[in-house]
Amino acid sequence: MDAFALVDGFDVDKAAVPTNDAAGVDVRELYRTAPPMEGERVAGGLPVGTPAPDFSLPDASGRVVRLSDFRGRPVALVFYPLDWSPGCSVQLDLYQQEIAEFESRGIQLIGISADSIYSHGAWAAVRGIRYPLLSDFHPKGETARAYNVWRVRNGFSERAVYLIDDEGVIRWAHVSPQLHHLPDFDELVAALETIKAPETGSAPIESEGERQ
Amino acid sequence: MTLFDVMAPTRPMAERAARQAVDVPVAIYGNNWCGITQMTRRALDRAGIEYHYVDLDRHPDVNRKLQLLGRGRARTPLVYVGGEWLMAPGLPQLQRALARHGVNL
Repeated sequence: MDAFALVDGFDVDKAAVPTNDAAGVDVRELYRTAPPMEGERVAGGLPVGTPAPDFSLPDASGRVVRLSDFRGRPVALVFYPLDWSPGCSVQLDLYQQEIAEFESRGIQLIGISADSIYSHGAWAAVRGIRYPLLSDFHPKGETARAYNVWRVRNGFSERAVYLIDDEGVIRWAHVSPQLHHLPDFDELVAALETIKAPETGSAPIESEGERQ
Repeated sequence: MTLFDVMAPTRPMAERAARQAVDVPVAIYGNNWCGITQMTRRALDRAGIEYHYVDLDRHPDVNRKLQLLGRGRARTPLVYVGGEWLMAPGLPQLQRALARHGVNL
């Protein structure tokens, strides 16, 4: 074989779409080749207008976070199935990339899954996620159950977004019809606009900064 | 660029940048519920880079053709940048592809 001829004969226009087989060597890219996580919605969530159930869960640094800590400011609560799984990663990445849409409206963004705090720490580090990820680990899924998004047979939650106003009432809810589906971000932004803080521009909590 | 039937993008966005004068054809074949599709579109919108967008849920025929192109292993979104096909690219990969055509993302 002539390695140079191999490259010379390469026709860019006719070549097949490149594969991503090498992606697996990078931990950050493992999700690309992880087994698929798909399934229809089984839990329907809570209706709009319901007072959001309070919770008390640790973030990646072990600090306990309560929903009631945020009374007086709106919260976007994102339930996702698991760290490291396909699909999830990009939802959290998307929200990190678009964090200004939350922060500019004074909305605190929070992720919740049934993973341990140590998994959350590693996951947030490799993905570059700077908003808090809470651990619904023990009793497992208790908070997801309270929000009616727990998948009993899977042991993880639905993919669901709740927007909670400054008085702790659910104003928008989206439980994905398929586990790997994200809500349309334009629709989410339109909903964010309806719960935004009256005076915007307050600095959201960053769990990373409170580690010391 | 008329490989498949494409739809013009409509993406109102508060912080959309002034449109860049870009002569490299860019097309995204994705799904509205897909995170990578949404990230890619918003990044291009913000940078003021024009692109065509094909919603594969509405164009299953296009999806079938793309699967042929990828020998059945194509993962969406597929992003076309001036002759180059990117499969579910991360932003750095997209950035590099655009940079090869002198376009800043």
